[in-house]
Amino acid sequence: MVEVSKLVFAKPSKVSKVRKILPFLTVVSIYLTLPAIGLRGFWIDVLTRVNIFLLITLSLDLYSGTTFYLNLGVPFTVGVSAYTLALLNRYLGVPVEYSILPSAITSTIFSFTIFIPSLRVRGAYFSILSLLLPIILAGLVTSQPFSLYLGGEGGISYFPLFFSYARALPAGERVFFLQASHFYLSAAVAIVAYIICYKIAYSDFGFMMRSIGQDELLAEATGINTFRVKLIGFIASSFLSALAGALYAAMRPPITADIFVPANTLVPPLTAVILGGMGTIVGPAIANYLTLIIYEILWGVLGSWRIILYMCLLIVLVLLRPQGLIYYLYLKMKQVFSVRIFKHLGGV
Amino acid sequence: MDKILICDSITKRFGGLIAVSRVSVEVSRGELLGLIGPNGSGKTTLINLISGVLEPDEGRVLFEGRDITKLKPHARVALGISRIFQGMRVYPYLPVYYNIELSARSVFKDARLARSKTIWALTTTKLLAESAELPVNLTPYKLKMVELARALVTNPKLVLLDEPFAGLSPEEVGEVIKIVRKLNESGIAFIIVEHKLRYLMKLVERVVVLNEGRKIFDGSPSEAMNSEEVSRVYLGVM
Ligand SMILES: Nc1ncnc2c1ncn2[C@@H]1O[C@H](COP(=O)(O)OP(=O)(O)OP(=O)(O)O)[C@@H](O)[C@H]1O
Ligand SMILES: [Mg+2]
Repeated sequence: MVEVSKLVFAKPSKVSKVRKILPFLTVVSIYLTLPAIGLRGFWIDVLTRVNIFLLITLSLDLYSGTTFYLNLGVPFTVGVSAYTLALLNRYLGVPVEYSILPSAITSTIFSFTIFIPSLRVRGAYFSILSLLLPIILAGLVTSQPFSLYLGGEGGISYFPLFFSYARALPAGERVFFLQASHFYLSAAVAIVAYIICYKIAYSDFGFMMRSIGQDELLAEATGINTFRVKLIGFIASSFLSALAGALYAAMRPPITADIFVPANTLVPPLTAVILGGMGTIVGPAIANYLTLIIYEILWGVLGSWRIILYMCLLIVLVLLRPQGLIYYLYLKMKQVFSVRIFKHLGGV
Repeated sequence: MDKILICDSITKRFGGLIAVSRVSVEVSRGELLGLIGPNGSGKTTLINLISGVLEPDEGRVLFEGRDITKLKPHARVALGISRIFQGMRVYPYLPVYYNIELSARSVFKDARLARSKTIWALTTTKLLAESAELPVNLTPYKLKMVELARALVTNPKLVLLDEPFAGLSPEEVGEVIKIVRKLNESGIAFIIVEHKLRYLMKLVERVVVLNEGRKIFDGSPSEAMNSEEVSRVYLGVM
């Protein structure tokens, strides 16, 4: 107790603030110089994809990690966004550069219209709905007569993001230009998304989402408009997933029904969230990079067995995840809490 | 109009069980009302109906003359009805500070006002030193204080306390009573559900007695003590 009150009243210095974000800045700077110091080929593509997956991981952690409403509809949101981008290109000839945001917004609107009832009741009904919907869409895409319009098994093909700029370059530089520009764009979006998610998760709004996860009835009965908090959280979270879908589609044509498969677009981020510590943002972000990079390395060793390994890891994590993990993480973050609380107390 | 709360013949059924049966209760501004009755008589259900956690099957709830029967719980908090749940109910993984501030922040959109209100509530309940502590490290008395602070931080006109003395030592009960008295003097009305009658009867101005969902008595504590019907349902307790 003594120790804590000391923490509460210890004023954070400017130096300690800088020290706190120093690791973050260092890691980000090293990461961003990788292509410049010779990262090429397969691995630069892997990192681009992991950058995009960070958006899905953050989306899950921001909403499900705090409110404990498991949003299994992520593959739906990601997939609808990706297909919107592809279809806009195919039928209206919109270059992908211009359709990333509109596609993400369209998918966000779809997701929240369909899943809004799931915000009112906690239970199996909407989890099942959210799992089945993407499977139905995947079926539609690959079956007659829809497959004729939606690309079928082969997917929808178009020129990738920034291709019009790459075309102007000498043939030997085109591939690297595309890879590097995709890497930097995805990294920039990932970094901005990370900072925003971190800010939200540790704001009053973020703590309201946590209060809903810990005791929703208590939250509602003591003044928190739980429906509104969940709604805003869900929309923010869906937008992140939708942005991931649109970015992925823009950078990786052709887009196929694989994007609706939960094993592809839900399991990896979900593993990262659980492994990293739900609701902490920092942990899942780190776990996102570790698990997905290891996943790629395993491809060489295990081949298609890696997906089985991944699923087993998820099962083990779910079984092992004790209540204590959250508490453990709280202890780790006690400093953060205390410094913030001090600021509040000192501010008046 | 000096009636702050009017429960107009409200009924709540759970399947075949009638938990609250055509109960009418009125509370005046700044009144201290005791709500007693044997286990399962419907006290908590009545509190839930007033705070909006449950909706009545029949009857209306009026607060400051306004019909709030269909209003959600959080909206009632904003109007000035706060509550404490039976037992200890806090967010287990949020520090004391956030356990309290989130309610203030929801009711007062202005962050600075919410913060200063939180500090006032922490001071009133002597919790400042525990601000960064997790509930798991607090004694039952301190947990009660967290709940009380959270109920106060939203500027209530009426506070509903469901068995606030349960699990506390006599000295701690005395502390709670002191705080309730002080707040009551500042004009806040209370409905207090309690089984520890010897403390309650000295604290409140009026008691309502429930039995099997029906109101069987409404009057002063001394009248209640002498009432035959009240003694019958409380046989061996008083
Ligand atoms: N959600 C519910 N579903 C079904 N029955 C309920 C529910 N809540 C309460 N009851 C029943 O309604 C009756 C009244 O319960 P209530 O909790 O209001 O009693 P109480 O007076 O608060 O009792 P205690 O002194 O034990 O707290 C009891 O028979 C209880 O079993
Ligand atoms: Mg009760």
